[in-house]
Amino acid sequence: MARITCAALTKKYGDVVAVDALDLEIAHGEFMVLLGPSGCGKTTTLNMIAGLEEISAGRLSFDDAEVTWTPPHRREVAMVFQSYALYPNKTVRENIAFPLRLRRQPAAAIDSAVAAAAAQLEITHLLGRRPNELSGGQRQRVALGRAIVRNPAVFLMDEPLSNLDATLRLSMRGLIKRLHQDLKSTFVYVTHDQAEAMTLADRIAVMRGGLIQQLDTPEGIYERPANLFVAGFLGSPPINLIEGVMAGGTFTRGGWRLALPNPPADGRSVTLGLRPEDVMAPAPGMARLDARVELVSPLGSETHLDVVAEGGVKLTLRVPKEWRAAVGDQIGFGIDPARLHLFDRASELRL
Amino acid sequence: MNRPLAPRVTRALLLTVFSALFVLYVAGPVAWLVSSSLQTEAQITQVPPNWLPPTPSIANFEAIFAASDRVVTYENRRQGEALTSNFLPSGAANLLPAMRNSLVVGAWVAALNLLLSVTAAYAIAVIDFRGRRATLYVALATRVVPDIALVVPLFLVIRNLGLINSLGALVVTYLAITVPFTIFILISYFEGIPRDLYRAARIDGCGHGRALWHVYLPLSLPALVASVTFAFLTSWNEFVFALVLTQNVAAQTLPIIISGFIMDFTTSFSFVNAAGVIAIIPPVLMAVVFQRYIVSGLTAGAVKG
Repeated sequence: MARITCAALTKKYGDVVAVDALDLEIAHGEFMVLLGPSGCGKTTTLNMIAGLEEISAGRLSFDDAEVTWTPPHRREVAMVFQSYALYPNKTVRENIAFPLRLRRQPAAAIDSAVAAAAAQLEITHLLGRRPNELSGGQRQRVALGRAIVRNPAVFLMDEPLSNLDATLRLSMRGLIKRLHQDLKSTFVYVTHDQAEAMTLADRIAVMRGGLIQQLDTPEGIYERPANLFVAGFLGSPPINLIEGVMAGGTFTRGGWRLALPNPPADGRSVTLGLRPEDVMAPAPGMARLDARVELVSPLGSETHLDVVAEGGVKLTLRVPKEWRAAVGDQIGFGIDPARLHLFDRASELRL
Repeated sequence: MNRPLAPRVTRALLLTVFSALFVLYVAGPVAWLVSSSLQTEAQITQVPPNWLPPTPSIANFEAIFAASDRVVTYENRRQGEALTSNFLPSGAANLLPAMRNSLVVGAWVAALNLLLSVTAAYAIAVIDFRGRRATLYVALATRVVPDIALVVPLFLVIRNLGLINSLGALVVTYLAITVPFTIFILISYFEGIPRDLYRAARIDGCGHGRALWHVYLPLSLPALVASVTFAFLTSWNEFVFALVLTQNVAAQTLPIIISGFIMDFTTSFSFVNAAGVIAIIPPVLMAVVFQRYIVSGLTAGAVKG
């Protein structure tokens, strides 16, 4: 049970700044996801919270106690690693019991705690085996067991699902979400996978270059991306970005003009963001987009269309599977201007 | 599809011949040592030599174990004609005490070497501190200096410390030889252990001591065994420092005493060879017990570095 406060948290390796004066408050019981591409500083941030990386500057607190200089074994945190990090010389039972043994808990208490954790994770039948006799999914369950058996205040997870295959990742995602609901601990979860971030998080911190780009709920991040990077990082297929200028209160690109609800000043260079799914059949009161179909990718549940619109603008659109489009078709789409995202081209910030 | 028969036979033949030659080259002296230790002085010196003992006898070994019961003087050392019978070197009675000295020194060196090297290697391999690489390089650089160059300065240091003629002098000196190499081997091994295991151990509640004890040591067993063997053998075989730092039987080790037999009035090949056989028993036993660990331990050190 803990609230985590990062105040101007900084990590430098020589002259390289990995995490740059990061301010972040994680509420008690919250599921916080640090999301970003590799090298964005998310794992470094996690390791600083764990105590595995020395903090170069700034302050870290759990609840009201400063832990900036507390070594990892004295912080009440548990961690799950991408590589599972099970002790190869110990059995599953010994792996899960290890943190409790180090805390010199009575044997009976350890046994019942291990049994309970194993039952919760459905690995009771594996307790006598060694890690090298387990599959990847089983290993990660053991690693989760080793974390939950301590009943820690803070759970840290560093890309725990990245080494698993797609189906397993999906079921483990559900497992982790249920664990969070049951344990009500504070979770900090690092990933580069937007689907994991969106499905698991209470809030997401999108990071790049050691800085938080946006901190918001999954819906907020997706619906109101704070800048071009966040807009481009979330969404699959990615958001369509169209560069143009403002003229007469409308977005113009070549011959294509689009009236916007709250237009910025004329003459401004802007980038328009259109999520692939934000197109529909043309209807009155909507902006219209005419485009020629270049590529049709049916996915079963939906269809992706690569189209070229007026002015040579290439877009990828997601349409219902009922749309029977063929290459070369000229199709008119309706766009709800309220669902468009507009960014300043110079600052890349949302307008 | 099988390859043609002739080249395969040639290949097998060549491999056999050269393997046999190699074994002969390496094991020949040891075989001759063992064989001659079971022969009388006269049989040993015959031409052509007796490759196998004509009448195997353990008389030489009996002489070693009985040596402390008799006083060898110039008058009685000759128990018969030198060419036909056996006689004892003057220092024969010192052989068993020297062996005990060698075992004591070897055991201390092996144990202290492990303790010092494991902790140092863990610190250098695992803990991130300023100058960790430099520490290793300085330690290794000390081993570039030839031992012979260190003999006189070391003698003065040991004498001023009042340690001449003590087993402690040898233990301290041998540790200076073994510790840098052992640290080097263990660092490579420790660095091969996934870093995430260290992280997991720290998170689970280990300080550095417990991380070393619970994670690094159990996973480095081959390297630890190799370290113990290396330290013991280095100590067991060492000659130059032992010669200078110990001057009487209270602290002299096996190599010194045995070499003394050869420099005696007359060399008794039979006695020296029997002593040689006894001298190789502890290392051979050690190698047999640990052999399955030693190879993997040494290669592990060799691959990464």
